[in-house]
Amino acid sequence: MFDFLPQWMRDGLGDDVLFWLGYLTNGKHLTWYASLQFTVFAAVFGSLLAVTFGLLGATLKNSTFPPARLIGTIYASIVRGVPDVLFFIFFPLAFEQSVEWVMASQVCTPETLAAQSAAWPPCKEANWLLSTPEYLVMASVSLGIIYGAFATNVIHGALRAVPKGQLEAARAYGMSASQVLWRIHIRQMWVYALPGLSNVWMLIIKATSLLSLLQIADIVLWADRLGAPNFLKSVGLVHDDWRWRYYLVLFVFYILVTLVSEKGFNVLMRWAGRGILDESRR
Amino acid sequence: MDIFLNELAAFAPAALFNIYFAAASIPVGFVLAVLFALGKGSPNPWISRLSRAYIYAFRGSPLFIQFFMFYSLALSLNISLWKPWGVSGWVLHPLFIGPVVLILNTAAYSAEIFYGALRAVPRGETEAARAYGMSRWQQFRSVTWPNMIRLAWPAYTNEVVFLFHATAIVYFALPVIDNQMDLLVTAKSRFEKDYNTFLHFSVAALYFLAVSLVVFFLFGLVYKRLMRHMPVQPRMRFAPKWIR
Repeated sequence: MFDFLPQWMRDGLGDDVLFWLGYLTNGKHLTWYASLQFTVFAAVFGSLLAVTFGLLGATLKNSTFPPARLIGTIYASIVRGVPDVLFFIFFPLAFEQSVEWVMASQVCTPETLAAQSAAWPPCKEANWLLSTPEYLVMASVSLGIIYGAFATNVIHGALRAVPKGQLEAARAYGMSASQVLWRIHIRQMWVYALPGLSNVWMLIIKATSLLSLLQIADIVLWADRLGAPNFLKSVGLVHDDWRWRYYLVLFVFYILVTLVSEKGFNVLMRWAGRGILDESRR
Repeated sequence: MDIFLNELAAFAPAALFNIYFAAASIPVGFVLAVLFALGKGSPNPWISRLSRAYIYAFRGSPLFIQFFMFYSLALSLNISLWKPWGVSGWVLHPLFIGPVVLILNTAAYSAEIFYGALRAVPRGETEAARAYGMSRWQQFRSVTWPNMIRLAWPAYTNEVVFLFHATAIVYFALPVIDNQMDLLVTAKSRFEKDYNTFLHFSVAALYFLAVSLVVFFLFGLVYKRLMRHMPVQPRMRFAPKWIR
């Protein structure tokens, strides 16, 4: 395995270390490390969408137009009333079916409709096959919708926390309503929203462990595959059931990610809050 | 309409599994949480550090991973421990190991809530208790505990609702045995038969929403009783805040 290394180095490392180096860098393990990209993508894209939906929801909730306010409130409360897993599974299925339904109205002919024996799709041509990239985007969108509901509440509260004097001053300068909103209100809101948003980010990180439910070969699925009893004809039994070790690694990994994000958000909050009087931090 | 009613009836036994998981883990989780909260606030640095680490670890990692980890751990101990002891039948059963993991998880989340409440207990009241010459147990019994539970109750209600929501992933991590299916697995298996996404998942969501409302109502009654000495009764609103 490590024949390319000079002899003195191989002697120095010893057989045990060489075995572990070889084991942890074999093809399956490399795929496992690479599958981290799905988790990272879902976390980053999902949280960007969550903030977007949160801004949208908070604007709706703050609007002076009653139906819009109602929609914002309903969005923020319904999504929180059901488990995130339910929505996480429901949304991709529902979206796929809606697309197939629209496709069916275009491509299906009476003959193909009659030929289809299964309950769904209406005809074979209207079948939309999903693979990992599509599922990943849909997973991120559902994360965005679910946690956008929480971000809605955070941002709604933060918008109220911006001192009224700031907005009055902006209005006194002759800014229009949208200028006040975009240049003053939303910009100053972030400081007050950051603690809540950091919480939402932690939730999204933890929710990325659910990706394997959508047939994405993410770190959780690979941990399961790698940990299962491993038998090779040339070597014999490499290891028996090691799944708990792999899950322990993931357990520690997620704790470390939480720890790092917590530190990161603390730095960010201190940076964003500079020059702003904050009662809670004194 | 008939389809909808049939659907409701079909999901009722499944809802019992979710309710069982939540009901089995809440009492033990509550006791553990209080212990961990007191541990985190303990003057002994080692007890405090250990409780802190436990709470951090279980709040900082996904429940999904915790399920997989404990289940595979239990599986790997099967031959060496459970089989010789003759308990492998029920130790590996989802109805046992599901609540165990949920207990460990909810203990950490609730402990954080109780710890926050513990720190918010008014100083003056504990000092008054000490001035009366109360022992430490008496101080805890008559001042710290009632204050803590009153302060923590609304947040704890919230945690219970989300614990109930968390029961939805039990059967995604653990095997389904003998058709013992919870709401989400039922919705999924019915979906695979007739591909009616909207009906099955909405009914499951409706059950979750309904049980959450019932939990809020029941815990609201308890809160009313806890707060019966107040001149103005505070009300609890159904406003789940995601803190998990």
